[in-house]
Amino acid sequence: MEKMRSVCLAFSAVAFLAVAPPVMAQGNDLSVGRKMLVEDNPGELWIDQGKDLFYQKRGPKNASLEQCDFGMGPGKLEGAAARLPRYFPDTDRVEDMESRLLTCMTSLQGFERNALIKEAIGRPRTKGSDIEALALFVTSKSNGMKVNVTLSHQKEYDAYKAGEYIFYRRSGQTDFGCVQCHGEADKRIRLQDLLHMTNKAGAQEVASTWPAYRGAHYIVRTMQWRLNDCVWQMRLPDLKYGTDYSIALTTFLNHRGNDAVMNVPGFKR
Amino acid sequence: MKKTWLKWSVYAAAGLIAAGCASYPDRATTQQLSEKMVFDAFDASPEHMKRLVQDRSQQICSKIGDEKLTQAEAAEVVKLARASIKYPASGKLVGDWKTGDKLAHNGAGDRIRNGKVENRKENGALCQNCHALAPGEINVGNVGPSLTGYGKQRGNSDAIAKYTYEKIYNAWVYFPCSNMPRLGATGHLTPEQITHMVAFMIDPQSPINK
Repeated sequence: MEKMRSVCLAFSAVAFLAVAPPVMAQGNDLSVGRKMLVEDNPGELWIDQGKDLFYQKRGPKNASLEQCDFGMGPGKLEGAAARLPRYFPDTDRVEDMESRLLTCMTSLQGFERNALIKEAIGRPRTKGSDIEALALFVTSKSNGMKVNVTLSHQKEYDAYKAGEYIFYRRSGQTDFGCVQCHGEADKRIRLQDLLHMTNKAGAQEVASTWPAYRGAHYIVRTMQWRLNDCVWQMRLPDLKYGTDYSIALTTFLNHRGNDAVMNVPGFKR
Repeated sequence: MKKTWLKWSVYAAAGLIAAGCASYPDRATTQQLSEKMVFDAFDASPEHMKRLVQDRSQQICSKIGDEKLTQAEAAEVVKLARASIKYPASGKLVGDWKTGDKLAHNGAGDRIRNGKVENRKENGALCQNCHALAPGEINVGNVGPSLTGYGKQRGNSDAIAKYTYEKIYNAWVYFPCSNMPRLGATGHLTPEQITHMVAFMIDPQSPINK
């Protein structure tokens, strides 16, 4: 019943978006509407889905993810996502939520990495991928806690600086880096608000609201999806899943978003 | 004997400091690491990977944080931009504003998904994404300045047509490293398409001048 109610809300939310008159863009009316949507976020449904996936014995090794170490020790989920990306000695690499899930699903459950990646970004209007639901479930265990991405290992410092470098790196036929759209306050692409990520508050919103329910796709999305869609619009080629490039950008943004209070799923248009 | 002990203590302390004191890499190291990350991060044909290679102007224009463009760098970008501009074979810089209107509202073209470039007859001019256009038009961005009344304010002289053509072809001639894509110079738009954009901007009949 609770689920039915949320599904109904999801539909009415989308219907609301579809019929909202253009005049809503003026003044604060649009932001009022968005706030109403966030209060009944259909993305909540994916938390349970992720929880089931997390505790089920799955994969060729018939194991759950309970032994997965997200940085606070095996199976310790509370507050772990708020500290990602971070360095993991077992892979000798800085990992974010999605890449850490890939690591655990391959090492603990025996899934094949390429097969997981192929399915990692779910199609719109489906229940989405396992990784999307799992990422939301694990991240939701940090809700109410402060983002706290610390830099202590050399590779964390390197990732932060690389993320910064990439944020400003212009290339391709649009001459775009990230900063061309996300470097100033109160900017929009058409009617879509752009986060001001060189500002603390903007970085905090990035760091604390992914994974998020994407209204236009009826599905929960992760930060990795967001980056894929950005580079697509920038006219760059297909971004591979879980590469150091994405992790570096996420390290840069999340570290600058420290002290934001985690609140997932976020709600995006 | 005592001296040796002291020497080894110093070495040990130095080693511990080196191991424990991770810090931000210097600029050259950052660049080396990041460039490798960029080229490892995409799944693409050699042809599409070229989109990641920066030209000289893009390198100069990728200032990090509060770094400022030096005067010499700005001059170099302007010089390169000037040299990049090609004019249409016909020599006519003002095309058809109606075609320009459609292109201004077209944000598609040349995006890559699953290794395939989207199948479009031509690229859109992307204007609507970032600029206010006709008066009262709501679904427009504000990353760039408003173009409402552009021609009304400036007229449609040959000099304005030429300036407008060059500004769209390569905005960095006039504003080095501005956020605006060098639409002609990067090949996103053809010279002919740009003549339609010029007409859309300066023709008194164009909706943006109404």
